[in-house]
Amino acid sequence: MVTAKQWSAEAVEMVLAAQGIALAPGRAERLARAYQGLLEASAADPLLAGLEFDATPTGFLLAMQKCR
Amino acid sequence: MSDPALLSLAEARSVPPRELLQACRARIEQWQPRINAFIEVDENPRGGGVPLAHKDMFYRAGRVSSCGSKIRRDWVANETSAALERLDAAGFADLGRLNMSEFAYGPTGHNEHFGDCRNPWNPDYITGGSSSGSGAAVAARLVFGALGSDTGGSVRLPAAACGITGLKTTWGRVPLRGALPLSPSLDTIGPLARSAEDCAILLQAIAGDGGLQGKSEIRIALSSAWIERNAEPEVAAAVLAAAKTLDRNPVEVAPPDFDTLSAHCLVVMQAEASAQHAQWMRERPGDYSSAVRSRLEAGYAIPAASYLEVLRLRHAALERFCAQTLGVADVYVLPGIGVRVPTREETGSKGGERMPRMLADLTRLTRWVNYLGVPALVVPCGFDSRGLPLSLQLVGRPFSETLLLAAGRAYQRATDWHRRVPA
Repeated sequence: MVTAKQWSAEAVEMVLAAQGIALAPGRAERLARAYQGLLEASAADPLLAGLEFDATPTGFLLAMQKCR
Repeated sequence: MSDPALLSLAEARSVPPRELLQACRARIEQWQPRINAFIEVDENPRGGGVPLAHKDMFYRAGRVSSCGSKIRRDWVANETSAALERLDAAGFADLGRLNMSEFAYGPTGHNEHFGDCRNPWNPDYITGGSSSGSGAAVAARLVFGALGSDTGGSVRLPAAACGITGLKTTWGRVPLRGALPLSPSLDTIGPLARSAEDCAILLQAIAGDGGLQGKSEIRIALSSAWIERNAEPEVAAAVLAAAKTLDRNPVEVAPPDFDTLSAHCLVVMQAEASAQHAQWMRERPGDYSSAVRSRLEAGYAIPAASYLEVLRLRHAALERFCAQTLGVADVYVLPGIGVRVPTREETGSKGGERMPRMLADLTRLTRWVNYLGVPALVVPCGFDSRGLPLSLQLVGRPFSETLLLAAGRAYQRATDWHRRVPA
């Protein structure tokens, strides 16, 4: 999982500009903080440590049937 | 009962449709100026059965579907959604297009393009979103039921805030064709109605099967210490009492990690919603409200690797929930909303510094369910000291809707919260 420590306002602005998305003034800083919080919270899941190499997003469909 | 609009959907099926339509129209005339639940009431409603109306994101060929937005204000759909086709085939009438959060991307019911939808119990308070009109219209008895969509809580939040019953279906259970996409890995469609029994009738129509599963004893799991610590006192008291009504000896379990699962949900939702809206965000960003534009901006820097890693992890999170939280129980119960329903002002654009925290509190107990893809039912379980509804949420295994609805019905047979009507 990519953690958010490397995010800065400049990085956010650049990534969005590269996709043609213009940000309102002051938004980049708030977004950088939000990314940091969100991605760190997501990365804190202990399940990630046991994520198998062969796991794919489609495994979820099988799990839905298995857990019925 | 003198007003047929106050009947349950099940009861209404034996009343002549013309009487039902007349009664619903009279209530719409009375309530619409106060709660703004409809975007448009059809002069000539389609179908001649029990009157319903739906969130304005279910397309009907030849009809405008605004999706609560300026961008699609006059957009005419060229197909009819699978869910509406099924309701048409089941003989329900469609009275019109209901208000909603812009592009189904907001949890409160604010809408700067069509006006905020307002809570029938007190118009100063939010309806919850994004299926705001569905919640308000059903609560005020303007229609007998409504469709909503739920990507992070959008069926359950309006059901909870408006004091009605709402079902978030298992991901994949109801076809999404012809409904506005927000985050396809999380999007679901579900009914909002006056009771679990009424939701069961609508589920049967839109899912092709359903009904109520008879089971002599439904085992309930809950995390009462967590609820007492984290929910507001009035919410906690109502939910713990409701759990006891359902099961005298509920199983105490450790709570799922709501906040981590919610973060996973947001990673997926933000990335997918932003991709969905990329072209309009490049070409006409000024046509979005500032709140929705801000939410959409947030998805463009989610790393693709993080997004996919969270999706790869999803099966393990689901298996853990079913094995641990539901290991010895059928249903996990918790509040629909952990805080009391907030006002429109404090959660709106002028809400100040506390506003982001309040929005996070509102969705804290709903998003995790969407990440797991499991079904959840919200039923009313009381009123707070200000007269606003309190709610119980029941979460089950994948495809266990009929069991959840049976549990909801059992609860509603023992209580009368779902029968209360705003004055």
